[in-house]
Amino acid sequence: MCRHDAASTAICFDGLSVTLGGTTVLENITAQIPRGGCTCIVGPNGAGKTTLLMALLGRIPCEGEVRIGVRPDGSKVRIGYVPQMMAFDRGMPVTVLEFLSMGVQRRPLWVGISSSSRRHALELLNMVNAAHLASRRLGALSGGEFQRVMLALALQQQPDLLILDEPAAGVDFRGGQLFCELLENLRGQHGFTQVMVTHDLGLVTNHATHVILLNRRIVAEGSPATTLTPPNLMAAFGAHMGGAGIDQTPCCGCSGSNGEHHEEDGEVRNA
Amino acid sequence: MPDLSAVFSILGTLIPLDCMQTGFMQRALAGLLLLAPMTAMMGVQVVNMRMAFFSDAISHSAFAGIALGLLFSIHPHWSMPLLGVAVGVTIVAIQRRSMLSSDTVIGVLFAAVTAFGLAMVSRDANLARDTQVFLYGDILTITDFDLIQLAGLFLVLTVFEVVGFNRMLYLSLNQTVADVHRVRTALWQYLFAALLALVVMFSVWAMGVLLVTAMLIVPAAAARNLARSAFGMFWWAIVISVTSAVAGLLLSAQDWAGTATGATIILIAFMWFLISFVPVVLRRERSR
Repeated sequence: MCRHDAASTAICFDGLSVTLGGTTVLENITAQIPRGGCTCIVGPNGAGKTTLLMALLGRIPCEGEVRIGVRPDGSKVRIGYVPQMMAFDRGMPVTVLEFLSMGVQRRPLWVGISSSSRRHALELLNMVNAAHLASRRLGALSGGEFQRVMLALALQQQPDLLILDEPAAGVDFRGGQLFCELLENLRGQHGFTQVMVTHDLGLVTNHATHVILLNRRIVAEGSPATTLTPPNLMAAFGAHMGGAGIDQTPCCGCSGSNGEHHEEDGEVRNA
Repeated sequence: MPDLSAVFSILGTLIPLDCMQTGFMQRALAGLLLLAPMTAMMGVQVVNMRMAFFSDAISHSAFAGIALGLLFSIHPHWSMPLLGVAVGVTIVAIQRRSMLSSDTVIGVLFAAVTAFGLAMVSRDANLARDTQVFLYGDILTITDFDLIQLAGLFLVLTVFEVVGFNRMLYLSLNQTVADVHRVRTALWQYLFAALLALVVMFSVWAMGVLLVTAMLIVPAAAARNLARSAFGMFWWAIVISVTSAVAGLLLSAQDWAGTATGATIILIAFMWFLISFVPVVLRRERSR
């Protein structure tokens, strides 16, 4: 049973199970996500990571319970969501400024962008170091640029809970690294709870404050040091990953303030 | 019924061609000036949300609308839009609840309503002959009452586009993101489906079942090539739709042309579509 202490816990999964098309994708998940931290949901392909996020977002039917805390004033928490490589029609003529104005501007975009919406959108773009993309077409952005714009859109919600599904997928090594550093800085400034699906153990080692290791069931949960141990990794990923513990992470997407990684000739190794 | 003769005479004065001095042409122009911006506005969202097949299914339910009108002694002017809205809302409801893909859901309902309509219509030889008008459309037979209905729909649609355009853009980019970011996606999907069904059914009278989807798609597709922003696409679609409609009406009325108005309008819109590739090619050349 998940103990839901409103002050320290943002989300509780209590006996959560998801069955899709007759296949059990998640089985009896009981876990908690601490408030204000960076929780990484880790597991192999098909482990149910994205399904867990979808259950959290209320997008799929599930058994059990997902309890999300409330804001200090008793209202619902605000959620910002960055999907994995969002599928959208890249031929659609929409500028980045329009994209960031559509959710906040009352008057229709066909009469133009108001000066306040423009200012607000530029502030958001500055936050994610992407002000230079303002007038670009959304479909013309690279993977890394698009993820930053998506992050700006999520931040527009002034989220208490920021949910990211493989945010660095399809982004080159350096781009992924910068994205993760950016997220860490923003979390420090805004104090939101970050929940991130990833299979990049380097990223988890450097940035997570809490880890949920998943393979249809909970394999382990806790701090990265106690969770990413060889026995747990072997249980989640199989024999080929069992030798890679917290001290020998096989791949590194980010080097952040928590880690002490050095980049040399494109290679990252532990110091 | 309000007297629209003043409006017609203004239209006759604005376009001082011989063909525009008759009442039915002035009515047809008034109808197209209301219909063309509506199809353009909805067309932008139809293209962005890839809903061309949806509008096709609605237009083909025209026959079932006529059949239902016969069964329940309701004038087709009412039974067609009512059935169109019912079909549109049903498609959205099934799409939201079913694991089936959108085109499968639309295809099934498309087949069912078309088959029902044709089965009912084929029972009556006279009716079968009359339904020709729905296949090809005839804007020249539009009545004052039709115009008033169109004006009412135009007002409703304008309000929808003022309040809902930004939400619909959110929705067409990604429904899950829109949902999580507090856009009431279900409400906007149902509203859009109902309004699109009404626009399609009213357009059937003018353009015919066979060409109504083209009136939604072609101007919006051309606008998409020409525009670099959502703002641009919206206005380009209106310009292309209205110019095609007016030019199509005037051309089709010329003795040397003698073509069906709906078909002529679509051909002119298609010319716009071809022209719209010029900036696309130029942009591509410049970026090399």
